Amino acid sequence: MTYLLILQPLEHIFRHALNSLHGIGLTWAWSLVALTLIVRMLLVPVTVKQIHSMQNMQRHAPQMKEIQKKYKGDRQKLNEELMKFYKENNINPAASCLPLALQIPVFIGLYYTLKSFAKHPPGGQAAVNAGDFSWLHIVPNITAHVTSHWSGYLLLAVYVGSQLASTYFMSGTMQPAQRRLMYVLPFAFIFVIARFPAGLVLYWMTTNLWTVGQGLITRRLIPKTPMPTIQRRSSRTPSKEEAAAASDDGAKPEPKKPPAQPRQVRRKRKARR
Amino acid sequence: MGRLGVLAVWTYRLTFGWFLGGQCKYHPSCSEYAIDAFKEFGLVKGTILAGWRLLRCNPWSRGGVDYAHDQRMFT
Repeated sequence: MTYLLILQPLEHIFRHALNSLHGIGLTWAWSLVALTLIVRMLLVPVTVKQIHSMQNMQRHAPQMKEIQKKYKGDRQKLNEELMKFYKENNINPAASCLPLALQIPVFIGLYYTLKSFAKHPPGGQAAVNAGDFSWLHIVPNITAHVTSHWSGYLLLAVYVGSQLASTYFMSGTMQPAQRRLMYVLPFAFIFVIARFPAGLVLYWMTTNLWTVGQGLITRRLIPKTPMPTIQRRSSRTPSKEEAAAASDDGAKPEPKKPPAQPRQVRRKRKARR
Repeated sequence: MGRLGVLAVWTYRLTFGWFLGGQCKYHPSCSEYAIDAFKEFGLVKGTILAGWRLLRCNPWSRGGVDYAHDQRMFT
């Protein structure tokens, strides 16, 4: 029932999308890459928003660390306090489930499309033999299992590398333990992914590389300098904002006292740049 | 019937949730919310509540503390 209701329509959507990309002269593998890029382009507004709020989070990181230290033993209380802190400081937590969840139907749709391509390749076995499903002369057939050819292992290696790189860019606000997990997971995931069609790894690789590219561009476009200076500086002569924040503090149970040492260091680094 | 929903959430958690990374701007997280909603309101209402929560969990929303028990959709 689920197949008819959800999976089949998904498969049809992606089959049609791949078909039309193939129709304009791309090979199946490149159609898959193009489709991935289109999906990511549609998601750009979402990611831009996400990156902005991530930087906002980084600005408030010291105060959040303090809250985390305070409620270390009680996860429930810690979460609630953090949420309260977000609301008070107008922070929009970077992570949100929807953009992540949106990638699941893409993944499932492509999975079924590639599976059905493997069973009934468009153009028949002749097309497979002619290399219609190959990629860059390296991967002979993107509908075949990852481990069916040595190139699959190469794809897996690039996948792990790209996953680690994209984690590096997207995990700015994660807690250390969580980040460590994110760095280990791709290795654990290899064993699952090895059973997938090679094209899926191609998709995942492309989407990761896009994330990395996005990370590199936003790092260059949005200078980091103005953010810490507003917040961390001027301990001796409090600005209006700081004074306002200080009066806010009276209502809050935890006074925010960022240590003086790192402030000094950061300013020096900025000056050198 | 609500158990079916809880089972679905756990399937998600053990597959996609695993590598998509479980970070949510709400407390409890969307999957926890879904489980609570299924347990308290059954499969149909739970699905609607969980779906609505997932839609709210977008980059433009605020996040915060939001328990399934405190929902105001079904009174």
